Amino acid sequence: MAEITEPLIPPNQTPQAEAADEPPPDFDPETMRKTKPGLKRLILTLSVLFSFILGVPLIYKSVEIYRAPLPFLEIDSLSAEIDSNPLLFPCRFQAIFVGFDSKSSITSLESSILHQMIELTRQTPQCGTCSPNHSVSVVLDSDSHGLVGAVDFDGDDEAVDEALQAVFGGGSGSGSGSGGEVYTVVVVNRGGEEVRAVVGKYRNAWILGRVSEAEAVAEAAEVFVKVFVNGGKEEGLIHGEFMPVGADGTLVLSFNLLNADPRDWIYDWDFQTVDETLLAPMIEAMKPVANISVESQVLYHVPKSSLSYWDDNWDSYIFSTKDLPFFVNSNEWHLDTSIAAGGRSKMLHFVVYIPSAKECPLLLQLPDGQISKTNSFISPMWGGVIVLNPQSCRKNSESKHPSRHTILHEDLQKVFEVFMGQFRQLFSFKSDNLYVGASGTYNLLPSERGFTVWELDVLSRMHTCFNLHSCATTLGSLSRLVQSLPRMIIKDEIGKQVKYSLEAAKLAQTNASLGVYDASAVSSRQARSLAEDAFFHPSIMSVSYYSFEHCFAVYSPFFLPVSMHVILAALREWRRYKKENKKYLVWKAKMKDAS
Amino acid sequence: MALLFLLLRPVLLLSLFHFGPISQSQAASGSPAGEDFSEELLLRPLPDRKLLAHFHFQSRAPHTSSDGRHHHLFPKAISQLVQKFHVKEMELSFTQGRWNYDQWGGFDPISSSNAKPPGVELWAVFDVPHEQVDDSWKNLTHALSGLFCASINFLESSTTYSAPDWGYRPDSGSLRYGSLPREAVCTENLTPWLKLLPCRDKAGLSTLMHRPSIYKGYYHSQRLRLTSSEFEPEGVGSGIVLEQTLTVVVQPSSQRTVRSYSHETKLQPSWSLTSIFGRKVSSRCVLAKSSIVYLQLDGSLVAELDSLQKENKISSADNYVSEGVRSNACFEVSVKPDRVLKELKGVEKKSPSVLYEFSIDKYNESGPFDLGLTWKVPVAWSCQKAPLHVSRFLMGSGNERGAIAISLRSTELTDELLHTKTSEGTCKLEVKIFQVVPWYIKVYFHTLQVFVNEEPQAVSDVVEKMRVSPSVDKLSPGVMEMLLKFPCGMKSAAITLEFDKGFLHIDEYPPDANQGFDIPSAIISFPNFHTSMQFLKDDSSDKSAILSKFEENSAVLAYTEVLLVPLTTPDFSMPYNVITITCTVCALYFGSLLNVLRRRVGEEERLENKEKQPGWLRQLLFRLYAKITGRPLEAVGSTSTSSSSSSSKLGFIILVAGIAVFWQVYYG
Repeated sequence: MAEITEPLIPPNQTPQAEAADEPPPDFDPETMRKTKPGLKRLILTLSVLFSFILGVPLIYKSVEIYRAPLPFLEIDSLSAEIDSNPLLFPCRFQAIFVGFDSKSSITSLESSILHQMIELTRQTPQCGTCSPNHSVSVVLDSDSHGLVGAVDFDGDDEAVDEALQAVFGGGSGSGSGSGGEVYTVVVVNRGGEEVRAVVGKYRNAWILGRVSEAEAVAEAAEVFVKVFVNGGKEEGLIHGEFMPVGADGTLVLSFNLLNADPRDWIYDWDFQTVDETLLAPMIEAMKPVANISVESQVLYHVPKSSLSYWDDNWDSYIFSTKDLPFFVNSNEWHLDTSIAAGGRSKMLHFVVYIPSAKECPLLLQLPDGQISKTNSFISPMWGGVIVLNPQSCRKNSESKHPSRHTILHEDLQKVFEVFMGQFRQLFSFKSDNLYVGASGTYNLLPSERGFTVWELDVLSRMHTCFNLHSCATTLGSLSRLVQSLPRMIIKDEIGKQVKYSLEAAKLAQTNASLGVYDASAVSSRQARSLAEDAFFHPSIMSVSYYSFEHCFAVYSPFFLPVSMHVILAALREWRRYKKENKKYLVWKAKMKDAS
Repeated sequence: MALLFLLLRPVLLLSLFHFGPISQSQAASGSPAGEDFSEELLLRPLPDRKLLAHFHFQSRAPHTSSDGRHHHLFPKAISQLVQKFHVKEMELSFTQGRWNYDQWGGFDPISSSNAKPPGVELWAVFDVPHEQVDDSWKNLTHALSGLFCASINFLESSTTYSAPDWGYRPDSGSLRYGSLPREAVCTENLTPWLKLLPCRDKAGLSTLMHRPSIYKGYYHSQRLRLTSSEFEPEGVGSGIVLEQTLTVVVQPSSQRTVRSYSHETKLQPSWSLTSIFGRKVSSRCVLAKSSIVYLQLDGSLVAELDSLQKENKISSADNYVSEGVRSNACFEVSVKPDRVLKELKGVEKKSPSVLYEFSIDKYNESGPFDLGLTWKVPVAWSCQKAPLHVSRFLMGSGNERGAIAISLRSTELTDELLHTKTSEGTCKLEVKIFQVVPWYIKVYFHTLQVFVNEEPQAVSDVVEKMRVSPSVDKLSPGVMEMLLKFPCGMKSAAITLEFDKGFLHIDEYPPDANQGFDIPSAIISFPNFHTSMQFLKDDSSDKSAILSKFEENSAVLAYTEVLLVPLTTPDFSMPYNVITITCTVCALYFGSLLNVLRRRVGEEERLENKEKQPGWLRQLLFRLYAKITGRPLEAVGSTSTSSSSSSSKLGFIILVAGIAVFWQVYYG
């Protein structure tokens, strides 16, 4: 194409040019030129170069992987907020003083109770407790008539509790959630020197006995803070952040009866009845906190993994505390196959272990040398184990067939009482019904449903707090992960989940500050579950991560050589233009000199 | 577990209840209500000097509505599976090796229900509305894949499973069938299977499952069969029945093979449980209702022994059948059998088979059970074969098309059976074929051809009923169900179907695609023929699981071979090569275009005129160019040197690129 046109023009032009202006005698074609150097090629190469440079962001845009924008700042602020100021609920307290001579006014009593309470909660408030600005109201009541006049305090504790509930609880309803719960302490100043303090199954407590006003105030404040707010927990038992409830709010209780060696004896249980009579009320009571399902199995040939030793003092085999981590035999105890527990629900294993004849009776020894009274232990977030020794450890050696037994219902009831205690401990409650405070011992009235109403309140608050905490941690990890892998694909769905999770967390916080337990528990659960959905999204799990090396390898065969050509061409043209222009200028100067 | 050890701060502080040993415990009578478990083992010498060992474990749980959902013996995982996915019936098998229908028998209950195709086979019937069946199936495959440590979840994709109508099982509305022919079966699949047994392999017959010996065998099939009447009204059916079988064919190592008998009459190898499995049964599983070992002698073997004894003129012709005798002229059993059961004579069978029953109850660690069989005289016999010998193979060559052929050959049995029937007049031999073909094998069903006695036949003459669902690309496999009726005197028949091989997307190829692709086994069943063995037993109330299984009337069926189809496999580095070569060509084109655009021909000419002597390379090129174009060198040199030089450069570049492309295509 170039062959025809190009060679024709220069020969024509040059003679013409030479003919037009005769060159001065000192024209040197090496250093001078007469015409202005052409800009055509320079513009061409430069425009190509510029179009290339303009194309770079386009290319970059097209190879960019899709990352949904995540609200990193909001995530950080949420976790900072949850870390710095723990979630606190407003609580309402009511103290009723019966039979006191009203020397001091109601307001002074209120302020002194409040003062005592603040004194007791002086250390940094734990997450999920009540906010320090409590609202306390005091009612002074005469002995015979008035609010609690109908209650007969001399009667049975249960009856008193029911009567108090009829007086105080009737209006607000027994269920938690409306935000109108009032914790009540009734101090009755009468009777002997002996002071009895009882905490009921609902949200009431009463103190009977001859107490001074100052004592009454101190005790009421202690009941409010230590029992109703903190749940009567022992310090440092299990940290409150561990809540054995799955992200979707479900909890599977798996009960296992393990016969270590069925050749010696075989024990069986009637789990169906236990499930219906003992566990069903507890599951019903726990509904607001967790959705509990129960399953059971009987396993055979499941020895424990560590050995015990014979102790003559106890006349039995002893298993000491330091070996407890090796009691659970994870190779042979196939406890964890549950198809029912789908998704992210939490499983708690409760194991009744029947030792074989070789190690019977088997006792668990405490670190101080004493024998565990319940012969059982728990493992936080995993479950509990009870060792149940057969009545007689002598094996009936004559018979070929092992003796078969069914655990009697009374025994089973005892076993399940221990289970209930373990279950309460796993939720970091006390397993016994005595609370020893600074100003006296309190009787905690146990509920037949495992958890009392005020304990469920505590659980619900703790659960909300735990959920928000874990939501913030999960979102924090997600944001760190996403920021550390700049070429990871993040789908829109993840962005949406994160957004909704944050919204739900916000909602839970506002609900908590308003004191709506139920709604805040629900939205906190939602926040946690959405956060985990986002974190465990399959697109994050798969290693579909388009590395920069890959991108480079694909595009370099084209762009490397082409860019070399383009840049070199532009450079050359520019250099040439400068050179030619200088020549022209020299010629021009000469012409000026000449003219 | 890591969490457990991390957090294990055991707390022994429960002080509320003082807890002594169990004060009283009532002695329960017998097994827990309703649930039972039994373990059985059947041993059968095979004609080709091998031994069949068939373990059979059966767990039964009564109806949930009557007995509650908490079980005492029945595995929790299985009952949860049934409850969650509404499984009515299910069968899962893991198999290694191929059942030899000619040598090991094709007409007995074991071969028809325990001979399985290699790899994994799963079918399930669900009790859910029609539109939810697929979802249930998908969930079930995932649950099973977790439960059995196998890649059963590959059956989730709709390209791998099918919904047979009548070809596989007669009454199937919500049946799904899928198989994975290439699944490797090993001990990690056996361990979860054993977990479902109450005694696992700690006690009882399952202690015999010494992994090296059972995986060393010629055939290994581990099966799980589930039947549940959970979703039917109470009183119908018997709750959930879980049947777990393990069928192995092993070669007893015989020490005395050097005995100089001719090939046919070589002495059968003697064996004992120790020599086969390397173990003895020291105790039964205490939870089992019964644990029994059977030794089965085939009908034809019994007939052979009969004739041998008559030849040798031994007086008591029946003595190996009589109870309490452990030794006779032909063989010796190391343990005295508790009972000898004789099959009730079927109508068409010549001789009944014999079962020796050994109960494990009386053995313990000091005196373990070790059954052995020692042959004294050489015996040769053959098993009862299926009505037709079935095989399937591929025809054609190349990577484009081929044909699947199923050949059916009559065996002596058919001759015998059918000759009796021919006399009665209308005699037809019915054969049902069920075949699933993956979508990338595009079968043309119109090319179906049927040959009977090597003569082509009209399809409509032979095919009685046919249901075809053609494959949809990347969506569903092709399914063929066919009912054929052949004349009785037929010697051989063949069915051929042509197919095209499809192309897969590069992402769809499995690892090691060059190995080829498997077409799952076809299932050939014979609806006219049923296997059932009735054994005379005094107390019919307490029937053993294996024997009641034998009594069930099951149709004779056979699985064909798995076919291996080689597909065209791309060079998997191709995409990158294509990118590289395309980019290089583009870059060359672009670069030279740019060079041409900014070339100043006149100036170069001037410069060139100054340089009298062009470089030797240029001269060479000019010469070459002149040769190619045929023009004289002078003309080129004088008139358009520069332009032609640039164009020749371009030509050279294109030439090089062309060579590169050529190289890439043919040698890359």
